[in-house]
Amino acid sequence: MAALSCSAADLSPFLGGDTNATAAAAYICGRFDAVSNKFIDTAFAVDTTYLLFSAYLVFAMQLGFAMLCAGSVRAKNTMNIMLTNVIDAAAGGLFYYLFGFAFAFGTPSNGFIGRHFFGLKRFPSASFDYSYFLYQWCFAIAAAGITSGSIAERTQFVAYLIYSSFLTGFVYPVVSHWFWSSDGWASAARVNSLLFGSGVIDFAGSGVVHMVGGIAGLWGALIEGPRIGRFDHNGKPVPLRGHNGTLVVLGTFLLWFGWYGFNAGSFLNILKAYGESGSFYGQWSAVGRTAVTTTLAGSTAALTTLFGKRLLVDHWNLTDVCNGLLGGFAAITSGCSVVDPWAAIICGFVAAWVLIGLNVLAEKFNYDDPLEAAQLHAGCGAWGIIFTGLFAKKQYVNEIYTGLPGRPYGLLMGGGLRLIAAHVVQILVVAGWVSATMGTLFAMLHKLKLLRISHEDEAAGMDVTSHGGYAYHDDDDDDRTKKSGIMMRMVAEQTATTRSPYQLPV
Amino acid sequence: MLCAGSVRAKNAMNIMLTNVVDAVVGSISYFLFGFAFAFGSSSNPFIGTDFFALKDIPSSSYDYSFFLYQWAFAIAVAGITSGSIAERTQFSAYLIFSFFLTGFVYPIVAHWVWSSSGWLSPSLASSSLLFGSGAIDFAGSGVVHLVGGIAGLWGSFIEGPRVGRFDAFGKAVPMRGHNATLVVLGTFLLWFGWFGFNPGSFDKILVAYPNTTGQGNWTAVGRTAVTTTLAGSTAGIVTLFGRRLLVGHWDALDVCNGLLGGFVAITSGCSVVEPWAAIVCGFFAAWVLIGLNILAIKLQFDDPLEATQLHGGCGAWGLIFTGLFAKKEFVLQAYDSGESGIVRPYGLFLGGGWGLLGAQVVEVLVIVGWVSVTMGPLFYGLHKLGVLRISREDEVMGLDISSHGGYAYNAHPEETGPRFYGEYVRLQAKS
Repeated sequence: MAALSCSAADLSPFLGGDTNATAAAAYICGRFDAVSNKFIDTAFAVDTTYLLFSAYLVFAMQLGFAMLCAGSVRAKNTMNIMLTNVIDAAAGGLFYYLFGFAFAFGTPSNGFIGRHFFGLKRFPSASFDYSYFLYQWCFAIAAAGITSGSIAERTQFVAYLIYSSFLTGFVYPVVSHWFWSSDGWASAARVNSLLFGSGVIDFAGSGVVHMVGGIAGLWGALIEGPRIGRFDHNGKPVPLRGHNGTLVVLGTFLLWFGWYGFNAGSFLNILKAYGESGSFYGQWSAVGRTAVTTTLAGSTAALTTLFGKRLLVDHWNLTDVCNGLLGGFAAITSGCSVVDPWAAIICGFVAAWVLIGLNVLAEKFNYDDPLEAAQLHAGCGAWGIIFTGLFAKKQYVNEIYTGLPGRPYGLLMGGGLRLIAAHVVQILVVAGWVSATMGTLFAMLHKLKLLRISHEDEAAGMDVTSHGGYAYHDDDDDDRTKKSGIMMRMVAEQTATTRSPYQLPV
Repeated sequence: MLCAGSVRAKNAMNIMLTNVVDAVVGSISYFLFGFAFAFGSSSNPFIGTDFFALKDIPSSSYDYSFFLYQWAFAIAVAGITSGSIAERTQFSAYLIFSFFLTGFVYPIVAHWVWSSSGWLSPSLASSSLLFGSGAIDFAGSGVVHLVGGIAGLWGSFIEGPRVGRFDAFGKAVPMRGHNATLVVLGTFLLWFGWFGFNPGSFDKILVAYPNTTGQGNWTAVGRTAVTTTLAGSTAGIVTLFGRRLLVGHWDALDVCNGLLGGFVAITSGCSVVEPWAAIVCGFFAAWVLIGLNILAIKLQFDDPLEATQLHGGCGAWGLIFTGLFAKKEFVLQAYDSGESGIVRPYGLFLGGGWGLLGAQVVEVLVIVGWVSVTMGPLFYGLHKLGVLRISREDEVMGLDISSHGGYAYNAHPEETGPRFYGEYVRLQAKS
C-alpha cells in the first residue's frame, strides 16, 4: 500500500513550507489516512464476506453428500447413512473446535503438527479470523463424510462415532498442517526449506481432503469385507442398486454447487491486486478462473463417463455419470487455481478413465464400496495431484505463491521435475499416514468386534435394528388400501349434504 | 422439507402448501402493514406508524434490502406455527392465522425488541433502556421462535391431538413421519440458512471497531457463524446420546430436532457470547427439548413437529442463556459499534449484573402474554366457528385427498416388466 500513504513532512514544502503549509499538509494527510483506513476496513469486510459465503457453500456440500449417500444405499439403511452424515458435521464441529484446528493451523509450531488455538484460545489472531476457522471446519467435516460412504450399510454406529472423531480431530488436521500451514514441512507457502525447493501445490485438497477420506474408507471397507450378497459364490459381482436415483442427482448437483466454495473459496480472500493496483486483473480474476476450471473438469469427466460406460455396458447410466462428474471435481481440486481451462479438460478426461478403471479393479478384487468413495476420492484425488505436477502454469503459480520467485511449476509446461516429485511424495505420505492411523484404528475396532454389524442386522437393515424404524412409511396405521373404497364414498356423501353452514368452502 | 418428511404421506401436500402459503400470504401482509408496525420510525415504543406499503422507503435508515431481510424473518414465524397444527387443520384457518400472525402479532413484538424506538430495544438512549440494558435478542429466539412456538401451542391445544395419537388409556401412539430423507434434507437446509439468520442480523459488515487492530463487524460476523455452528452441533450430539440412553437406539430424527433446538437457542445471543458458551447453550437446549417432549406426552399435547417444545421451549432458554453469558466486549460491539468506555449490563455469570437477565425474563413473559392474548382468542374464535379443525373422516382419509385434489405420491405398482437391466437385456435377446 505504498501509494496510499501520505507524509505531511514531504507535502509541506510543496505548499510553501511555512506554518500554514505545515498545518495544511497535516490536515490533508490526516484526511488521506482516514480514507486509506476505510479501504483497509472495506477489504476486511469484502474478504470476510467472500470467505464466509464460500464456507456456507462448502457446508452445502455436506447436504449434497447426505443426499448422494441416501440415494445410493438401499432403503432399509437410509436413516443410518444420513445420521452418520449429520453426526459427521456435529461431532466434527466440536472436535475440530477443541483441537483439530489447533493441530492444523496452530502456528508458530513445527513442520509436523500445530500447537496453538486449542478451543480457539487467543482468537482472532493477526493471521486468522473466525471466518477462516469456519471455512476450515467445513473442509474437515467433508473428509469424514467421504469415508462413511465406503463403510456404509454394514458398520456399527459406535464405530462411526469413533472413526469420525479421530479422523476430523487428528488424522486430517495433521495432514492439512503439512500442506496448508505456513509451517508445514511440505507446504508451498513455507518461507524457507521448501520440499525439493518447491513445496506441494494442493490448492483445495485433492490430497488433503479427498485422498485422506478415500484411503481411510479403503481400509474400513477392506477390513470389514463386502456387503452380504455383493459377490456370489463364484465371486461375480451382484449389483446392489441404490433406492433413489433422484436423491443421487440432487446430491450431485448440490455437491457441484458447493464445490464453487470448495475450490474458488480456497483463495481465502478476493480483494487483492496482482502487481500494481488499478488493473482489471487481480485475485478476483483468478477466483473466476478457478470456478471455470472446476466446471470444465467435472463436465468433461461426466461426458467421458457417459460415453465410456455406454461402450462398456451398452446403456446410458445416470449414477455412473454422476460419480464421474464428482471424480472430475475431486481431481481438479488440487490444481484448480494454477492451470489453464484447457488443461482442466484433460484433467477431467483422464479422471473419468481412472474411476472406470479402478471400479473394474475393485470388482476383480471383490472390494465393495457402496459409494465408490475410495476409487473416486482416493483414486481421482491421486490423479489430480499428479495432474497438477504436470500442468501447473508458471504465471499462476507465482501469482498465488509469492514467496519464491522463479519457483518450479508443471513438468509439461517446462517447469522441471521438482514440483511433480514433491507431488509424488505427497501421495506416498498421505497414503502412508492415513493407512498407519486409520488402518490401525479400523483393525482394532474389528478385533474388538465393534466394526461390522451382525449378519441378521445387515439382512434386516440397520434402520429397523438400530435406528428405531424405517425411513419411509407409505402405509398408515389405518390401511387405506383396504378401506379406501368405502371411505371414498363416505367422503363424497359428506361433502354433498352435511357441511356446516359456517364451514368455508374447502 | 422438514415438515413434509415429518407428517404422514396422506398429508404431505397439505403441509407443503401451508408452507408455500405462509410465505406468499406473509409477503402481502408484511408488505402492506407488517413492516410498518415493526419498523415504522415513529417514537412510539409499542407500534410503528409509517412505511405502510413501503411508502417513503428507501429512507435514511432503511433500504429495500433491509425490508427483504425482515420479510424473510417474518415468513419464518408462521411456518413454525403451522407445524404445531399440522395434519388436522382446515386450510382456511391457515390462511387467516398466517395473515394475522405475520401482519400484526409478530411485527409488534419485532418493534418492541428490534426497532430503534421499541421499549425493549437495547439500542435506545441509555436513560430509556429497560433496566439500563434492554433485551438482547440478536436474531430472534424470542421475537421469531418463541412467538411462533406460543402461537402453535394455542392452536394445537385448542384443536386437540390428532386422531389416534393417544389411545384409550392416554398412552402415546407413535405417528412416524413418512420420509426421513426429507427431514434430514430440511434440517441441513435450515442449518445452511441459519448462517444468514444469525450472522446476517448484523445488517452491515463494514463497521470498524475503534481501539482495535483490524477488527470490526466482519470479525463479529465470523464469530457469530462459529457460535451458531457450535451450539447446533453440541445440541445434536447431546440429543444423540441422550435419546440413546432413553430409547435404546440412535434416532436420526431426534438428532435433527436437537440440532435445530440448539440453533433456536443460540439465536438470541449468537453475537454476544464466546464460542465456549455456545457449547453450553447447545448442551442445555438439548435437555430442554427432551424434557419438554416428555412433558408434552404426559399432558397429552400433540405437536407433530414438536414446534412448541423446540421453538417455544428452546427459544425461551436461549433468551435466559443470553442473560447469563453475554460478554461485555461483544455487547458493546453489537450495540455500540465497539465504542469502549460505555457502561451497560451484560451476562450475569460474567459479572454483568442482573439488568440484562431481568430484561430477558421480561421479554419472555411479555411475548408469552402478548401472543397468548392475540393468537389464543383467534384460534378459539376459529374453533367456535367450526373452521379450525377438519372432520374426523377427513383426518382419517388425509387432507391431501379430501382438500387438495389428490395424494402427493402416486405410486404405480411396478409393471410386470423387467426391473433390472440384466433381465431387460435377456428379454431383448430372446425376442
